[in-house]
Amino acid sequence: MLDKDCNENKCAEQIKKTFQTAEVEVKREKRVTVQLRSDLIPPFLSFAKEFMEFKHLSHMSCVDWVEDNELELVFILWNYEQQVQIIAKTRIERVNAQFVSVKKFWNQAETYEREFHEMYGVNFVGNDRLGEFILEDWEGVPPMLRDFDSIKYSKETFYQRPGREDAQNVRATIAKHSGEEVPGFAKDYTIRNIED
Amino acid sequence: MMNPNINEKDKRRIRDIVQDFARKHSLWVLAYGTGCGAIEIPPTMTSRYDAERFGIRGSATPRQADVLLITGYLATKTLKRVIRTYEQMQAPKYVIGFGSCTINGGMYWDSYNTINALDRYLPVDVYINGCMPRPESVIQGFIKLQSLIAEGKADGADKYQENLEWYRENQKKIIHNWKMPDYNW
Repeated sequence: MLDKDCNENKCAEQIKKTFQTAEVEVKREKRVTVQLRSDLIPPFLSFAKEFMEFKHLSHMSCVDWVEDNELELVFILWNYEQQVQIIAKTRIERVNAQFVSVKKFWNQAETYEREFHEMYGVNFVGNDRLGEFILEDWEGVPPMLRDFDSIKYSKETFYQRPGREDAQNVRATIAKHSGEEVPGFAKDYTIRNIED
Repeated sequence: MMNPNINEKDKRRIRDIVQDFARKHSLWVLAYGTGCGAIEIPPTMTSRYDAERFGIRGSATPRQADVLLITGYLATKTLKRVIRTYEQMQAPKYVIGFGSCTINGGMYWDSYNTINALDRYLPVDVYINGCMPRPESVIQGFIKLQSLIAEGKADGADKYQENLEWYRENQKKIIHNWKMPDYNW
């Protein structure tokens, strides 16, 4: 259990006081998560950097919640003095995704933003290097979105050498041969393929 | 003694046999790793497996190299560079497909940007299967290539030249923005 006045709780308190709509949670030692409205992210990052000494942007990532028709942006910040990590999350529209560039706070955000632009189709306003990044001559749906069908694309684009048709599910085949009882929860991801 | 069924072009003369004997003992491999398989090359080349006892050595540039080793998966972006590299190499030249990815896509068969069969785009003389092939099998593959050279059967470069249209068609199907120089042969 964490002390009441440990660094993690202090950070959480400070964030709650400043951003009243934020959902703050102390996950465990050294880890605090913050859920924010998308327009509050730039002020939050600025506040964390300037007033809470979160000097380091460790990572940015993007998650596709296709069921909710939303994209989630995740910012991971680190405080060297207090040894606390903040994971700030926000949801944005999935269609014509747009967000403000956080390049002005951390320069390394530019590279992440270029990647999200290419792989998820998010447009970052204020980042002027959103061009071709890793992929070459890519047209169509950004490939990391979950409604992009990679197998279908691969089958249409690249020559498929025959020989994979009889590929068996190794785990299920061995279980069948040896008469092994596969527990119900494991069946979902082992036997399913062979029965389809 | 003479077999009348063999036409003039396919006849192997003593000169060819001597040339191929020399070639097979001096294979210079282009030091260009495309996928994860390149990690097996340093142990193959260094003292533990010592590929140099078979005359296999690294070379710095495509124009000095005899063998192009495709070590693993090829992204469409890399394929463009590999085609350029291959076309810059001077004949006699050979291609070795290394690892499952070059044969049928391996574990990346459903990826959106890796090719699945290398021999649709470049003429492959020898395939080495495995994921990854150990240095023993790499050397085995090179010995296979050497025996093909000695028999005069490693003619991938000629096939490429003869069927360039077919290869180009396949290559351009993937590489949409084709801005490549035409090398003279």
